[in-house]
Amino acid sequence: MTTAPERVSGEREAAAGGGDVSADTDPALSVRGLSKTFGDGDEAVRAVDDVSLDVGPGTVVGVLGPNGAGKTTLIKSILGLVVADEGDVRVAGADMYDDQRSAYARVGAMLEGARNVYWRLTVRENLEYFAAIGGESPPAVRDRHDALLDQLSLTEKADTPVNDLSRGQKQKVSLACALARNVDVAFLDEPTLGLDVESSVDLRREIRRLADQERMTIVLSSHDMDVVQEVCDRVVIMRDGEVVADDAVSDLVDVFRMFAYRVVVQRSDDATGAAETAGGGADPIDDDARERLRETYEVGAFERRGDRVAFEVTLGDPEGLYDLMDALRAADLVVQTVESVDPDLEEVFLELTNGEGSVAAARADGGDSQ
Amino acid sequence: MSADAAPTGDQPRREAAVGGGERERGTGTLRTLLWAQTKKRLLLMYRYPLNTLTGLAMTFVFFGVIVFGGRAVAGQALTDSLGGIIVGYFLWSTAIGAFSGVARSVTQESEWGTLEQLYMSPFGYGRVMIAGIVVGLLESFAWGGVTLAFMLTITGKALHLPVATVAVLTVLAVAPAVGLGFFFGGLALVYKRVENVFNIMQFVLVGLIAAPTAGVFWVRLLPITQGSYLLTRSMQQGLRLWELPVGEVGLLVGTAVAYFGLGYAVFQWMGARARRQGLMGHY
Repeated sequence: MTTAPERVSGEREAAAGGGDVSADTDPALSVRGLSKTFGDGDEAVRAVDDVSLDVGPGTVVGVLGPNGAGKTTLIKSILGLVVADEGDVRVAGADMYDDQRSAYARVGAMLEGARNVYWRLTVRENLEYFAAIGGESPPAVRDRHDALLDQLSLTEKADTPVNDLSRGQKQKVSLACALARNVDVAFLDEPTLGLDVESSVDLRREIRRLADQERMTIVLSSHDMDVVQEVCDRVVIMRDGEVVADDAVSDLVDVFRMFAYRVVVQRSDDATGAAETAGGGADPIDDDARERLRETYEVGAFERRGDRVAFEVTLGDPEGLYDLMDALRAADLVVQTVESVDPDLEEVFLELTNGEGSVAAARADGGDSQ
Repeated sequence: MSADAAPTGDQPRREAAVGGGERERGTGTLRTLLWAQTKKRLLLMYRYPLNTLTGLAMTFVFFGVIVFGGRAVAGQALTDSLGGIIVGYFLWSTAIGAFSGVARSVTQESEWGTLEQLYMSPFGYGRVMIAGIVVGLLESFAWGGVTLAFMLTITGKALHLPVATVAVLTVLAVAPAVGLGFFFGGLALVYKRVENVFNIMQFVLVGLIAAPTAGVFWVRLLPITQGSYLLTRSMQQGLRLWELPVGEVGLLVGTAVAYFGLGYAVFQWMGARARRQGLMGHY
């Protein structure tokens, strides 16, 4: 896996996730050729490099990347808070750069975590203020605010100044304010950063509810892989300003699945009896057997557990498992368990962002054939 | 794409949601925006009571020092010019409030992390700021009125107070201060830490308000100076707006519009620059 980064094509984007763009549905968010460079000459930094995305209604998209990958600049360029050098952005049909007012009527954003709100105002006062400057009459969205407070377990704190709330509660207020009016697309930058488990669970549940029940499109950036894997339909991974992967979470994990197995073996009764006759206490896998396995397969470390030995092996294809069984039988070993070792999103992320991996290379290696 | 296009219009629209029927939104009007800004300002004043009260107390104390300290030093000379001092002080406290309301709000919102939220208003950031300025001006007039009453009470001085004329002249006199506020607020968007400039402006405004206008025409072209001159004439001589020379009032309107417009243009330009450089959310 040493090829250059390669973006997953639009065909895969259309197939990704539960609520993605189909032929008869306009995208809630459409980004075309977005690029942004800071600085000039030798000091120029390409923060966002020719990014294109289509996201359908009701889809939750996670934007992942190491620090400095361009996640925040991408989100702020989409929102017009950073002016892109090239490209077009449409939010629910409105052009973000040519018809910004209409576009802003369609988006909510939580960009600074708990700092996004007025700490001296109460929770409800914040909701009413942000609804009003968002173009919504506060009395008209009172029910929406009550529902948001209820969903985020903030009803009892509605009349409490934000300053008196815990960090997690402040973060929830910030999310509620981004959603204080009815929007098509919400952008959430690190929504669960610094939250305790309970608050994080509340936030994840609310994000999913908004997507599933209100058909709201949500773009979130996060370093928390668990959040992304649990909440997002689709993930966009960035490296050096480029999108290096854009696919459904499960599809991405599939691409990087490598036919890796964890095998636990034990010596056969016959071999054990012979070993005891010869002096007993021998390793279940002798050195010759280890050497033969290493020569034939990509085998990890052998871990001895009493009379058993566990090891991980990566095969070229699934058929190789039968050959492995034969090889183990030939070495007088009895297979106790075989488990498939699946990569998680974190491993995929590390593979793609360490400068070596790419989706195309993983697919060429056979991961996509499963 | 026209990268620097600013949001315009006065009322968000009701639009169809993408792929999911009608999405209800946008019943708010400019009145909603104005009410929201007023309510926020009042609530913040209420929640920062010490800040509010010490600000007012400092205004009173500073005036007391000028009058009683000045009498001790200058005696009759100060008493003779007391009317001008009271008008000037009223205008200064109002102008400082208006200037700070604009300039400081940019740095405050930036520090609070709410600046980008305001920028993303469908009303447009300019309108959100102007609504805030209207509220700030009303607040400044309120404090200015209280200060004026305090000054007249402790000095025993009587001034003419044709309310409509004073209100119009004060708005026009303070408009350049708002323009300066926009100018420095715009600088704050890009350069962030400009609080020291704000402090210096307090003294600059004193100089502009007290600048001698007699016989030196170009001085009247400076911000606030013409307004200070006409307001002093109106309040000391009891002249109403229509009793003032048309040319003088025209010059006041011209400087008010010019400085306000120039400051607002710089603010918009610096805002576009901050967005190009990715500085909008920095603090």
